[in-house]
Amino acid sequence: MSFSRRDLLRASVASVVAAGSGTFSGNLLAANKTVKIGMNIPMTGDYAPWGLPGLYGCQIVADDINAAGGVSIGGDKYNIEMVAYDHGYDTEKAVQGYKKLVLQDKVKMVMMLGGSTVASILPWAQRRKMLTTTLLPSDITEKSEYLIATCESHPLYNVTGVDYLAENFPEAKTAAIVTNNDAEYGLQSAATYKAAFEANGIEVVDVNLHGFDITDFAPIVSSVLAKKPDIFCMATSFYVTPLMEQLYHQGFKGKIISCTLDFYDEIIAKTSQEFVDGTIFQFPDFDDPKLNEDIVNFPNPGDFDAKYRAAHPNDWSAVSWEYPAILLNWIEGAKAAGSVEPTDVLNALKSNSRPEFIFGGGHWWGKELWGLDNAVVGFWPVVVVEGGKARIKEFRSVSGWLKRNKDLLIKHMKELGLRTV
Amino acid sequence: MELFFLSIINGLIQGGFFALFAVGLVLIFGVMGVVNFAHGELVMVGAYTIWLVHAQHGVAYIPTLILAILVVTGVGLLMERFLFRPTRNDPLAGLICSIGVLFILQVIATLVGGEGPSKQVPPPFHGTLVLFEFLRIPYQRLFGLGISVLALATLWYFLTRTRLGWALRAVALDREAAALQGINITRISVIAIGVGAALAGLAGGLMAPLTNINPHMGHNVIITAFIVTIVGGVGSLSGAVYAAVLYALFHTFVTVYFGGTVATICGLILMVVVLIVRPTGIMGVRVSE
Repeated sequence: MSFSRRDLLRASVASVVAAGSGTFSGNLLAANKTVKIGMNIPMTGDYAPWGLPGLYGCQIVADDINAAGGVSIGGDKYNIEMVAYDHGYDTEKAVQGYKKLVLQDKVKMVMMLGGSTVASILPWAQRRKMLTTTLLPSDITEKSEYLIATCESHPLYNVTGVDYLAENFPEAKTAAIVTNNDAEYGLQSAATYKAAFEANGIEVVDVNLHGFDITDFAPIVSSVLAKKPDIFCMATSFYVTPLMEQLYHQGFKGKIISCTLDFYDEIIAKTSQEFVDGTIFQFPDFDDPKLNEDIVNFPNPGDFDAKYRAAHPNDWSAVSWEYPAILLNWIEGAKAAGSVEPTDVLNALKSNSRPEFIFGGGHWWGKELWGLDNAVVGFWPVVVVEGGKARIKEFRSVSGWLKRNKDLLIKHMKELGLRTV
Repeated sequence: MELFFLSIINGLIQGGFFALFAVGLVLIFGVMGVVNFAHGELVMVGAYTIWLVHAQHGVAYIPTLILAILVVTGVGLLMERFLFRPTRNDPLAGLICSIGVLFILQVIATLVGGEGPSKQVPPPFHGTLVLFEFLRIPYQRLFGLGISVLALATLWYFLTRTRLGWALRAVALDREAAALQGINITRISVIAIGVGAALAGLAGGLMAPLTNINPHMGHNVIITAFIVTIVGGVGSLSGAVYAAVLYALFHTFVTVYFGGTVATICGLILMVVVLIVRPTGIMGVRVSE
């Protein structure tokens, strides 16, 4: 009988719960120290869907851990306290928030979304040797030793969706990509999708870039559909709903692939279930039965999903589970280090050649693209809407794809003017 | 050719929305001399009203649209009474007050709608009109175009066929001369901001099912409104309507044939070119000191 990583997680949580519910629970809780984890994220503004839901998720995980008696690190018991700062995706506020979290709140790690807000704090974070996480590994540079990406490897995971599409729908031979024209999110995704399509022999007939001031997507969709693509690819997350709405009204019949499909129930309400069914994307709901497979390193995803949706019924997004997954990575690192200090935790995490990764198969990567192996890549789910519900079809290896197609990816990144080593 | 005709339809629909909020901005500026930076936020309040009352509480769309107009008109009247009237003789103070209102309305929207993702409103009119087997126009967008045209036609009738409309235009042309003719400037100002805000509320209510609703959506609206106002001729109502339609068609065609990023840049270049070559805009009149 094998004892999987998942069983170990469950056993750990169960043992902590058992200890916490015993006679000495009051004493244990009373004796606990507190470790503060910072979140310097957008909680208002256009980027809020990629910040606030993550805080909600972390709070649920932290509450569960604290209710179960805390976490043992280096012989001490710690309760986890989340401290968040809303920078509204403003770089100046991001610097203020970061300094406040580090100097005033004395957090031991700062979780961030990524992009320009991470770039703005990076020099200071490096000098302070403060462990910082990003969801955009493209933030990593040769000198950003204290910046890691242990969960989302945006946008590398998109290759798994394209591979799935190419294998299951070989009749689709042409694709059009629509995204916002920015180097942090849109162009990174566009380059990755272009590489993934080329790797599968799918011709990209259009790459349509738009700004952030678009209020009407009808002209963009008309323009793209005039090129008759078999696949409509949304390398964006900001405008998926209006794009899907226009695709529906303009009668698109091909395959749709998207990086995210946040709030897909709203998209169904605006279009139809039949239309949305079959859309391929990358971010699962956490009540998905496939998340109970052994490779998944997230304790009780169904329970997490239920608690989350009960507390925040309309706020589930791609990051709802990503920041909690990073928090769990930190706990593993702190346990291994026997310390909560940023440098110790970072060293413990980096010294593990097979780090815990939410969907399994993780290893440190990034030197060949960004100059430093500070991102964890592994398996990633391919999600398809079926019967109006997002369902994981399979887990595919991002690492395997990178081994085969790294040069192709670098070529397309350079073509779009993106930074590579 | 299909794309060409579809772009014309899309441009006209967008032009209708642009005209609604640009005309309101011009009306307020013309009569009160205030550059209302919060005009985009008035559109946002209209959209939020639809989201809150129609999408969240299930009230029918048309009554909610009327409610949105009334709510935004109310906000406009409060702005006039408590901000613009006391600062009537200081255009800079009015401008700064409107910037303050901009932030206040954004915060109120955040408090009402909560932080987090943009709000979505399911379209009250489902389905798509198909013409000649290639022109596909969603009923929701057709409804928006129809109501926009109706509202602008009503405004045109009001301004050209009623005594109140004449008075309003007279104040916009020359406030002192109008006052000497016995026109009540305060009353006309109330009507101007009421009408301007009502049009903004209508625009927000019509756009709500078609766009992402968030507290900052007014930002794009006000930039478009300024471009339209400058191209049309500052202070010219008819210029604002013509410019709205022309700019929407221009923006749509550039988006379709050259991409959205190019369209954004071209829109701003167009505004700069008009300011340099013809500062009075399409319909504006040069006024000598």
